[in-house]
Amino acid sequence: MREEILFEITSLSREPMRVKAFKFGKKDATPSCVIVGPMTGDAIDQLWIASRMVRFLRQKELENPSFILGEIVVVPTANTYSFNMGKSFWPLDNTDIDVMFPGYEKGETTQRIAARLFEKTNNFDFAILLEARKDHAECKPYVSLLANGAEDVDDARAFGLDFIHIKDESPIDTVSINYNWKIWNAKSFSIISGKKGELRKNDANKVFDAIVRFLSKHKIIDFPIFEGSIGNVVTYDNIEIIKSSAAGLFDTLVHVGDRVVHGQPLARIYNTLDGTLMQTIIAPFEGIISCAYDYPLIFQNAIAFRIIRLEDTQLP
Amino acid sequence: MIEEFFNVKLPVDEHLILKRNRFLTPLQELNGKRISIITGIHGDEIEGQYVCYLLAKWLNENPDKIKGIIDIYPSMNPMGIDSITRGFPFYNVDINRTFPGKTSEFLPGQVANAIVEAIKGSDYAIDIHSSNIFLRELPQVRISKSNAKELVPLAQKMGIDFIWVHDAVTVLESTFSHTMNTLGTKTLVVEMGVGMRITKEYGENLTEGILNLMAQLDIIDRPLSLSKPSFVSTINAEVHFINSPCSGVFIPTLEHNVTVAQGEKLGDIIDPLLGEIKATLLSPCDGLLFTIREYPVVYEGSLIARILEDTKEEKA
Repeated sequence: MREEILFEITSLSREPMRVKAFKFGKKDATPSCVIVGPMTGDAIDQLWIASRMVRFLRQKELENPSFILGEIVVVPTANTYSFNMGKSFWPLDNTDIDVMFPGYEKGETTQRIAARLFEKTNNFDFAILLEARKDHAECKPYVSLLANGAEDVDDARAFGLDFIHIKDESPIDTVSINYNWKIWNAKSFSIISGKKGELRKNDANKVFDAIVRFLSKHKIIDFPIFEGSIGNVVTYDNIEIIKSSAAGLFDTLVHVGDRVVHGQPLARIYNTLDGTLMQTIIAPFEGIISCAYDYPLIFQNAIAFRIIRLEDTQLP
Repeated sequence: MIEEFFNVKLPVDEHLILKRNRFLTPLQELNGKRISIITGIHGDEIEGQYVCYLLAKWLNENPDKIKGIIDIYPSMNPMGIDSITRGFPFYNVDINRTFPGKTSEFLPGQVANAIVEAIKGSDYAIDIHSSNIFLRELPQVRISKSNAKELVPLAQKMGIDFIWVHDAVTVLESTFSHTMNTLGTKTLVVEMGVGMRITKEYGENLTEGILNLMAQLDIIDRPLSLSKPSFVSTINAEVHFINSPCSGVFIPTLEHNVTVAQGEKLGDIIDPLLGEIKATLLSPCDGLLFTIREYPVVYEGSLIARILEDTKEEKA
């Protein structure tokens, strides 16, 4: 393993922010894969996954140097400053680094971070981004492919996660690292999981296993694995949004990943002052809870659940 | 006439309500033209509040001068304005990157959708921003190149100091102005002053400019006041960005809204611990200093100033 500081950003009063990479295998060996951890300082699961991956690869490479068949680079995070102060976005101006790609070396601070990170990560065969959802939702781990990378769905199945979401591109996606990796010809994937600000080890470990499986199936490492899921492809058309009609205290009755049936109570919403039951949210059909609202107070018309319709998913 | 156009329950005994004040002439005299003045999409930008007040005051005092429909939307992010928060509180999302929004989206997207639905059908719209807390701006209208032919003549009717015609960027397709221009409402974006503050002179000048514009568009009956010509950025006049080369504290030498000569000192980046000047920033050209940094703490890359270079014809 080679540990390297990819770049630094200096500060008035703090230690410089060092963006580190951990490199495995021979430089420029193929196939190559870069794994980039979170750019938001509240994606704890993703930091756990990235650091566990460094530890795993280091230990296995020490045991057997030929374990690494290609080249792997892990960048656990590009935003240590925000992790250290419990913030999500860049501490000074609250900008999101992942809307700054491909970056601009002469631009604002987060544009420069993006430019430097992109320069160091844009020439790999495979590129994996670890992300938490940016809205208030906890979700079942899934692979997210932008529509410009939809042809990579077979490669995405190597993760063995249950769902692969092909996401329609919006203007904001064109400035994400994932989109720009793809433009520069990497096969790029986002893995989205967990809940912001918390460590959910069960789901985090599933993602960890999925990445090991992916590396093994693409012959980047030599390591035995268990087969995963076949990878159901879903789009917005398969995902039904269940909204709250009341506001108040949100009492969830189901878990993310649960299979629910038509008519099953999913959550209750109570008046926050007098305790009156305001709404019982009912499953309108059979499916899998892919995402659930993650905060105990809920607005009216908030997205309480996303359910993947059972009959609609595409099998290979 | 106060009208609500969005109303959603919040968890604890409160509603989030968006309102507009509609001024219109008796129906038989209505010329059919409609203009919307909106502000407060970013909750830390307050300059537009004063403009809305002055406009509503003039319209209250001159109901007989109204020939069309004038809608004033002062607060498009009420919780943000009441808490000095740029984005949509709780979701930490910039509403001006969620347009056009959908009713099926999370709350910020629903708010964006409601704003679009309320303003749709207006002939004109003016979206007033105040830069942010970091930069002080000369009053200016920003127009993307693709809309320049139609919108520059409209902006010139306001007699605003500066019209900046900039390149179209894909990510800006998620803004209010792009959405409304796409829907056929000619929409101008005004930036002026600095976040969290009101600059009375700018507010008064912009109000006068908007009244002048409305008079020329036959929406109000009011003698035209002489408006000064605007600086307009064209293909012959480049805008230079001056970013900080290092972290530190920026001490300006110049105020904004002054002409500068190439090589003239803009300010220093200092190190308070060492008592040293880390960098001295010089103007790269002759031109108009229309943006200057207001918030002193900088990282490498923080924007310090923007200068509109004198046109090549002027130089010759």
